[in-house]
Amino acid sequence: MSIRHEEIQAPPSRTRRIKASTSRHSDGRLAFWLILPAIVILTIIMGYPVVSSIVRSLFGDTLGEAVPFVGLANYIDVLFGNDSGTFWGSAGTTYFFAVVTVSLETLIGLAMALIMNKAFRGRGLLRASVLVPWAIPTAVTAVLWKWSFDPVGIINSLTGAHIVWTGSEWPSKIAIVIADTWKTAPFVALLILAGLQVIPDDVYEAAKIDGANAMQRFRLITLPLVRPALLVAILFRVLDALRMYDLPAIFTHGANDTTTLSILVVQSTLSQLKPGVGGALSTLTFLFIFITAFAFVKVLGVDAVGADEKTKTKEVTT
Amino acid sequence: MTQKRRWLTSVAALGVAMASLTACGGSAGSGAQADGGRGPITFASGKDLTGSMPKLIDEWNQLHPDQKVTFIELSASPDEQRNSFVQDLQAKSDKYDVMWDDVVWTSEFAAHGWLEPLDPAKVAGSDVLPAAVDSATYNGKVYGAPFMTNAGLLYYRADLVPKPPTTWAELEADCAVAKAHNMDCYAGQFAQYEGLTVNAAEAINSAGGSFLSPDGKTVTVDSPQSRAGLQHLVEMFKNGDINPAGVTYQEQQSADAFLGGKALFLRNWPYVYTNANADDSQIKGKFGMTTLLGQSGSGTSSLGGIDLGVSAFSKHKETAKDWVAWMQSQSSQKTVVSVMNQASVLKSLYTDPELVKASPYLPELQKSLLSATPRPKTPNYNAVSLAIQKNSYEALQGKISVDQAITQMAADLKQAIQ
Repeated sequence: MSIRHEEIQAPPSRTRRIKASTSRHSDGRLAFWLILPAIVILTIIMGYPVVSSIVRSLFGDTLGEAVPFVGLANYIDVLFGNDSGTFWGSAGTTYFFAVVTVSLETLIGLAMALIMNKAFRGRGLLRASVLVPWAIPTAVTAVLWKWSFDPVGIINSLTGAHIVWTGSEWPSKIAIVIADTWKTAPFVALLILAGLQVIPDDVYEAAKIDGANAMQRFRLITLPLVRPALLVAILFRVLDALRMYDLPAIFTHGANDTTTLSILVVQSTLSQLKPGVGGALSTLTFLFIFITAFAFVKVLGVDAVGADEKTKTKEVTT
Repeated sequence: MTQKRRWLTSVAALGVAMASLTACGGSAGSGAQADGGRGPITFASGKDLTGSMPKLIDEWNQLHPDQKVTFIELSASPDEQRNSFVQDLQAKSDKYDVMWDDVVWTSEFAAHGWLEPLDPAKVAGSDVLPAAVDSATYNGKVYGAPFMTNAGLLYYRADLVPKPPTTWAELEADCAVAKAHNMDCYAGQFAQYEGLTVNAAEAINSAGGSFLSPDGKTVTVDSPQSRAGLQHLVEMFKNGDINPAGVTYQEQQSADAFLGGKALFLRNWPYVYTNANADDSQIKGKFGMTTLLGQSGSGTSSLGGIDLGVSAFSKHKETAKDWVAWMQSQSSQKTVVSVMNQASVLKSLYTDPELVKASPYLPELQKSLLSATPRPKTPNYNAVSLAIQKNSYEALQGKISVDQAITQMAADLKQAIQ
């Protein structure tokens, strides 16, 4: 939220500097007209579907012209009804994937970023090539990895294993985690790298002179200073991972306990033509993601922003 | 002041542009009526791999210059074809006058009121295969002109099993031959997707079980016959007659196993014949085809195929109805068999000497088609199919017992048809 706030504020403050004579009042109006098209477009392409899906979720799914208003019945049915086991199972699966993949991606991404931040010959090439997995569409990644994880695929033949990867619960989950990590660790690496690059060299030099060893420098300088970027990267990834769809859908069609919440939404809305239940499912998924993001920002993010501002003011005063 | 004027002008311009856009959208909707329901129509089908659809359409267009058909080619994936149709039908759009419907969608589309009932005399005549007509019938009315059909066949290695098995027990006995040659005995489609519904339904139907009552309103799966049917497949997984990797097989992987000489028997659609009989095939001249097997003789295949449905929102329904009947005529159906390499819905074409010469499996296929049953007919087909897939998949994996699987399947089906 704080990021968007700054973005919106930025243009008028800049104009103010250029044209000091213009009154504050007309500045605000100009800003309003400037952002109006964006707001209109966002309302049309994002607001309308969200609102209509929430409204639809309050109606039933009976066949025929008029669908009856059922209030929160769809929500109650999803959360506590006969099929609630499916919903909670998928919620568990989704959070399992989110926690495992984001942890792995953060660790690997951080390591990649640290390496890419070092000055060495061929660094540009490395940075570009690390991005390749991220540039490939997830559906293509999924097909690629599906072939690799085939019972007679390259992974079994290289390792000499005879694992039917997509044929039972844990191998399927491991395969999905590997494919997801392969694809998105570079994204995390890039965000962290951006954070690393703004750390001035003189801080490290001062630490070296004070006798801090490499481990201490990493723990006391790199980590705290890269923390805001790291948290943004993790937040982005958590939000993304909670919406995971392509990989399990292509690997297993949701079999072997790999049905995520997004797969459930698609199943009920598109495949079973139950937009009421589908709307309720997608609203619930949205709420889950929102609450997770909110908790994340509250527990870690707010602290990060506070610490960030403190260091800034300190820098200014010194 | 000038600045403000400029802003207002551009906003006004934007408004005008938007208004004209909506105006365009509006005018497209109001077509001329009072033409007796005749005029140009559109026909949407799945991806046309043989390029013969435009030829058929040209033929029609030359005969009916004032009622031309425009071809809309959709994705090769059935799910995406269905999404295209459903999106436009939900919006009551007349974009597609005639739709190419997979047999399992017909009930669903009809129940939503998206399809126009057709005259049985024109599209369900005595030469049309009864199972195909059945698949296009919902609540006693015919909602699609059967256009293509399909049934499963049992492929076997004629060099290793000179006399093909005639019952399921005989097939299981032949598995000793597979063991001796270090092959898998049987391959089918057992990954959790529509193919598993087809295979599980065949096993259960062949053993005398069923899923839903003919009207689709009662669950009938909880029977000893259903258990016996599913048990066959589970046994074969358990004793290694089906490869453990079988739970990931779709049509292609199972065909590959047979074509690569790794499986003795294969359940698949007729299309595998073309690959198996190709000049570079490892098993050319070494395989045969027969009907699927049951406890005492031939089994029951699930029915595949395509019905041509007329959209309830079409402005030229009379033309559309004539077109779907024409697509079912002898001459069009010959193209279906000889050029598109698909199974016709007309019985008479299965004994046509010329066609049989090109596709020697036609008589066996007809036998299979005559005893085939449609998959459960219900407007909630996808939920029903998911219930069948999920529970039989877990039974095949050995995660749950056959008894648990069928009990749970009955409960899930009850939920699904609500």
